[in-house]
Amino acid sequence: MSINFSRRQFLASGLGFPALAAAAVDNPFASKAPQFPATAKNVIFLFMHGGPSHLETFDPKPILNTLHGQHVPPSFGSVQLQFSKFEQSTVLGVKRQFKKYGQSGIEVSDVFPHVAQRADDLAIIRSMYHDGFTHTAALNWLNNGWPRLGRPSIGSWLVYGLGSESENLPAFVAMLDGGIKSGPSVYSSGFLPAMYQGTQFREGPQPILNLTPPRGMKEADQREMLDNLRWFNARHAAAHPDESALEARLNSYELAFRMQTAAPELADLSKETEATRKLYGLDQAGTQSFGGKCLMARRLVERGVRFVQLWSGGTSGEGDWDGHKECDKNIVDMASRVDKPIAGLLADLKSRGLLDSTLVVWAGEFGRTPVCDGGMNGGGGPDGRDHNPYGFSIWMAGGGVKGGKVIGSTDEIGLRAVDDPTHVHDLHASMLHLMGIDHKKLTYPFEGRDFRLTDVAGKIDLVAKLKK
Amino acid sequence: MTRPVALALCLVAPVFIQSVSAQSEDRALTVIANNCGGCHGSAKMSGLSVETREALLAGGSRGPAIVPGKASESLLYKAVVRDGELKMPPGNKVLAAVDVAAVREWINAGATFGSTKPKASEPTWWSLRKPVKPAVRSIDGILGKAKPAADRRVLIRRASYDLTGLPPAPEEIEAFVNDKDPKAWSKVVDRLLASPRYGERWGRKWLDVARYADTGGYETDVLFPNSWRYRDYVIRSFNSDKPYDVFVKEQVAADEIWPDNLDLEGIYDLPESKRQSLERRLGTGLYTLAAMPVEYTLFGDQYRAEWQAEAAVVTANAFLGMTFQCARCHDHKFDPIAQKDFYRLGAFFAGSEDREIPIVSQMRIFEYTRYQTKQVAVDELRKKYAALKPGDKDGKETLLRQIGEAYVKTPLMYDKANLLVHTEPVPDTFILPRGDSMKKGEKVTPGIPAIFGKGAELNEPADGYFIPRRRKVLAEWLASRDNPLTARVMVNRIWQGHFDEGIVASSNDFGRQGEKPSNQELLDFLATEFMDKGWSVKTMHRLIMNSDAYLAQTKPHRLDAEEIRDSILSVAGALNTKMFGPPVVSPLAKDEREAMRDLSMWPVSGDATEHDRRSVYLFIKRAFRLPLLDTFDAPATDESCPRRESSTVAPQALALMNSEWASDQAVRFAKRLSASKDLIGDAWSLALGRQPEAAERAKAQEYLTRNSPERLCLLIFNMSEFLYVN
Repeated sequence: MSINFSRRQFLASGLGFPALAAAAVDNPFASKAPQFPATAKNVIFLFMHGGPSHLETFDPKPILNTLHGQHVPPSFGSVQLQFSKFEQSTVLGVKRQFKKYGQSGIEVSDVFPHVAQRADDLAIIRSMYHDGFTHTAALNWLNNGWPRLGRPSIGSWLVYGLGSESENLPAFVAMLDGGIKSGPSVYSSGFLPAMYQGTQFREGPQPILNLTPPRGMKEADQREMLDNLRWFNARHAAAHPDESALEARLNSYELAFRMQTAAPELADLSKETEATRKLYGLDQAGTQSFGGKCLMARRLVERGVRFVQLWSGGTSGEGDWDGHKECDKNIVDMASRVDKPIAGLLADLKSRGLLDSTLVVWAGEFGRTPVCDGGMNGGGGPDGRDHNPYGFSIWMAGGGVKGGKVIGSTDEIGLRAVDDPTHVHDLHASMLHLMGIDHKKLTYPFEGRDFRLTDVAGKIDLVAKLKK
Repeated sequence: MTRPVALALCLVAPVFIQSVSAQSEDRALTVIANNCGGCHGSAKMSGLSVETREALLAGGSRGPAIVPGKASESLLYKAVVRDGELKMPPGNKVLAAVDVAAVREWINAGATFGSTKPKASEPTWWSLRKPVKPAVRSIDGILGKAKPAADRRVLIRRASYDLTGLPPAPEEIEAFVNDKDPKAWSKVVDRLLASPRYGERWGRKWLDVARYADTGGYETDVLFPNSWRYRDYVIRSFNSDKPYDVFVKEQVAADEIWPDNLDLEGIYDLPESKRQSLERRLGTGLYTLAAMPVEYTLFGDQYRAEWQAEAAVVTANAFLGMTFQCARCHDHKFDPIAQKDFYRLGAFFAGSEDREIPIVSQMRIFEYTRYQTKQVAVDELRKKYAALKPGDKDGKETLLRQIGEAYVKTPLMYDKANLLVHTEPVPDTFILPRGDSMKKGEKVTPGIPAIFGKGAELNEPADGYFIPRRRKVLAEWLASRDNPLTARVMVNRIWQGHFDEGIVASSNDFGRQGEKPSNQELLDFLATEFMDKGWSVKTMHRLIMNSDAYLAQTKPHRLDAEEIRDSILSVAGALNTKMFGPPVVSPLAKDEREAMRDLSMWPVSGDATEHDRRSVYLFIKRAFRLPLLDTFDAPATDESCPRRESSTVAPQALALMNSEWASDQAVRFAKRLSASKDLIGDAWSLALGRQPEAAERAKAQEYLTRNSPERLCLLIFNMSEFLYVN
C-alpha cells in the first residue's frame, strides 16, 4: 500500500483518503492494512507527566548512596540542566529498595510493588535519551518526535497510517489528568489534517464534548430531527453528485448519533465485575482516578480504538511527576496512584488475550538527575532532582514485545545512556514497526518536504531486541 | 552500471559510440541546465556548478562530476541513472530514459561544451523568472470559454461569502435579482468591497499566513497583550485597499523606510503625521507574535537565534511563498537554498528586536507614573493581607474592601504596542549546524538568497555609526517589480480565496517541492496586472469576480470555521458588528472548561454583547484552541497556514446539533422569526437566501406540527446547504 500520496490528490478528495469518500463514507477512519504483518494493533501510551525518576523506579544505582553529598567525579563531564548547575550540585542518594522479580529477575523498586509482579511482561529500556531539558521540548520529543510545536503526535501518525477499527468512536483518544505543559500539541495532528488529532476523553459518563442532545430533546426527538435533516441534506447532495464531502457529511451525522450512545456505554464502568474493578483499584480513593482511565483504555482497545494516550499528572490537577523538591516523596506519592491500575491493566489485557495485540508503553518526558536540584531559579531543593533527558527509563509490554528483559543501561550514576543508547526517534521507529509500518515510508508532504514522525533519523535495531 | 538498468535503457535508446553532434550536445546541456542548474548553478549546492566544463571537472564536495569519455565513471551520470548512493534529481523526479541517454552519450563523446552553454544566466525554475505579461490579457481569454453564469441567487451568496464571510441579507438578494442594470453585478462587487466586513474577512486570511495568535504557546504560553493591534492594522489595511507593496514594506521595515517615526518613544504628543507613522509601524507587529519556546531559550543567545530563525521562516513563507525551514539545519535538499541563505536572510533581522513601547504622549505616561503611588498603597495593603492570622475573618473582610477601593483608584495602564525596534550593537549572525545555537558556524552577513541572483546590495561600513537599514533593503527588494515571487504569491492567494484552490495549489511553496502552476500564463497575467494597477488587492477582486470563469458554477465548498460561527450569529440576528480592539474572550461550556490548565488564563469578557462579535476578534490562545472553531479546522497558529483544511468529522455534527451555543443561537433565530407571517419562508430566505420549494415547505411544515420553531432553526444550522457555498 502506498501511504504517501500527493497533496493535490489529498485535497481533491476533500476528506483525507482518496478511497474513503466513495468506499467507506460511514467511517472516515476506515481501517487500512499495515505495510507488513504487525505484531501490535493498538497502543496504550501511559504517560507520566513531569518526568518520573528512573533512579527511584527502574534503574537501580546503589553507588549514589555512597556518593551522597559529594560532587560528581569530573570524569563524568557536565550536562546542561534547566534549573541547576550540574558541577555545583551534589549527588542525592536513593531511599528506595530494589528487588528482583519474576523468573527474569528484573529489578524494580518498591514504589511499584504491583507492576513488579508483571516483571516478566516488561521490556525495560534503561538507555533512553534526547536533548530536551525543558518539559515542553521533552513532551514534544516523546509525543511528536520533535522539540518544537507544529508536528503531528505519534497517535495522529498512526491513525493517518492505519485508520481505526472502531465504527463509533474516535480513533485516537487522550485522557488527561489536568493540563499539559506543552499544551494540546502532544495529541494534536500538527500539519496533518485536523481529523487525525486525538479526541480528549473526559472522566465521567460524558467523555466527549457535546455528547448530550440539547435540553428537552429526547432521543426520539433527535432521531426525528436527524431524519428530517437527512432528507434535506440528501436533496442537496443529489444536486451535487460529484461532491463526496456532502455524502460524507450526511454520514457524519449518523456517526455522531451512534457516538452519543457508544461513548456513554463505553464510559459506563458499572457493568464491569467487582473483581475487575478491584483489579484496577477502583475501590480505593488513591487509585480510583487512574484506575478508571486504565479500565477505559482496555474498553477502548476492545472496541478497536487505535491509540489511547493516558496521562498521569498535570499542571492544574493533583500534581505531577516533576520532583524538583522532594523527589523521593513525589515518586512514592505519584507511583501509589498508578501502580495498581497499571498492573491491573496488564493482567486484564493478558487474561482477555488482548495483550498480544496491544502495545503498552510506559514513559515520561525524561528522567531525573543523579545530583540534587540546586534550584538556581526553579524552586528546587536539596532532596529534589532536576530534569535529565540524557539517560532515563521507559518500558514496553505486549504487542509482540517479549517481556522479562532489560535493554541498555546508563552510566554508573544514571546520568547518561551508555549501552544501547536509544533515541526517541528509535523508540518511535520501533513502535511504528511493531504496528506494521516502516517509519521511513509513513510520510506527509508539508512545506516543501515529505515529513516523517522520525524526521531524518530512527533505527529499528530495538525491535529485534524487544521481540527476542 | 548494473545490467538491468543498461538493458532498460537500451530498449528505449540504443547506445551511440560515435562522436556526438552539436545537436546532441545541446540536448544534453539543456537536460543538465533544466534539471541540475537550479541547485548547481549560481547556488553551487554542495560546491558543484554545472555551468562550465571546468566546473564539472572540478566537481563539488563529492569530487569531480564528470570523467570525459567515461559516463559509467562519471558521478553526474551515476546520479541521474540513480545507480549508487547519490540519486539526482532529488525526490521522485527521475529523468526520462531519453534524457539519461543524452547525458551518457554526451559524456562518452567527451563532454564538450562547444558553442552551446547551459542556459544558466536565466534561472531555470519557473517561479524564479520574472512574470511576463502574456499576449492574451484577460482571464477568460486565457482560460477559454467558461460555463454559463450561475443563478443570481447563487452568485450573490458566493460573492457575499467570498468578500465578507457572511451571508447576504434577503433585501440585498432581492435587489440584485431584480436589478435590470447591466452593471448590476459589478455594483454588488463594489458594494461588498466597500463593506467594513471585507477587511475582517480578508484580514483573517492574511492572519492565517501571519500565524497570528494572542499568546506565545509552549509551556509558558505568555499573553501577547498587544498583538490585536497588528490584527486591527491588517483589517484596516485591507479595508483601505493599501497597495500590497506598501503593506509588505510596512510589515518588514516601516520604521526604517519612514524613519520619521523612530522618535515615537517618549514624545510630548502625537500629531497626525506621527499617528500615520505609528499605523505603518504596527505592521512590524508581524515579527512580535510568533510561537516561541521562551522557556526553552533561557540560555545565552539562544532566544535571539530562535527569534531570528523564525523571522526568516515567516518572511519566506508569507511574502516569497518559499519554504526555507529545511535550510535552517542543512542545505535544502530540493530547492536551491543553501543553509547559508537561510542565515543570511535571518541576518536582516539582526539588530532588530520585539519591544513593547508606549504609543501615547509623554504627558499620559507622566500621569501614570505620578499616580503609581496609588499602586504602592495597594501593594502595602496586600502585604498586610498576606500577613493576616488564619481565621481573622473581620480583618480579612476589612482588608479586602480596602484593597478593592484602593485598587480602583490606581491609574489605568497607558496604551502600548509591540513593534520592531533597533538594538545596538548589532549582534553577529552565525550559521548554526543542525540549527543548534550552542555550536556556532561560519559568520554571515545579511543577503538575499543566491538563487535570486545579485538582488539587493547591502553595504554596511565595517565600523562607525550603525545606520538602521537592513530590513529596509530586504523590504524594498521584496516589494519591487523585479522580485519574481511577491506579486505572484499574493495574486495566487487572492485567486485561492475565490476558487478554493490556488493556481499554484501549494500557496506557501512555489519551490520545487510545491505544485507547478496549473496555468502559468494566467498567474503571470494576474501578477503583472497586479503590479501595473498599483498593487491594488481590490482591483484584483474586481478583475477576478467580473470574469466568466468566476461567474460560472463552481463546486460547493464548506464554510470555514469563522464563517460558520459568524453566519449562525448573523442569521440569528445576533451578530455584533463592532470592530477592532482587544481580543474577546468568549465563555466556555462546562465540559470545555475542563481542558483549561487554569481558568484564570481564560478571562471571559464581562460584557455579554461582546461574545457575539465576529470570530476574527476572538481571543486566540495557542495552548487552548476554541473547540467550535478547532473542530471546523481553524488553523494551528504555530506556523504560517497557507490554506485551510476542510474536514468532515462527527464532532462537527455534535457541535452543531448538541452544543449549548448552537441551541442558544437557534432560540435567537426563532425569536427573530416569531413575528413572521411566513416563518418557513423567512427562515429559508435568511439562512439559505432563497424561498423553499413546495416539497421542502411541506416537509418543514410537517416537522413543525410536532416540533418547536427553535428545533427547526437548529435543523437549518445543520443543513449542508447552509454550511456550504457554491
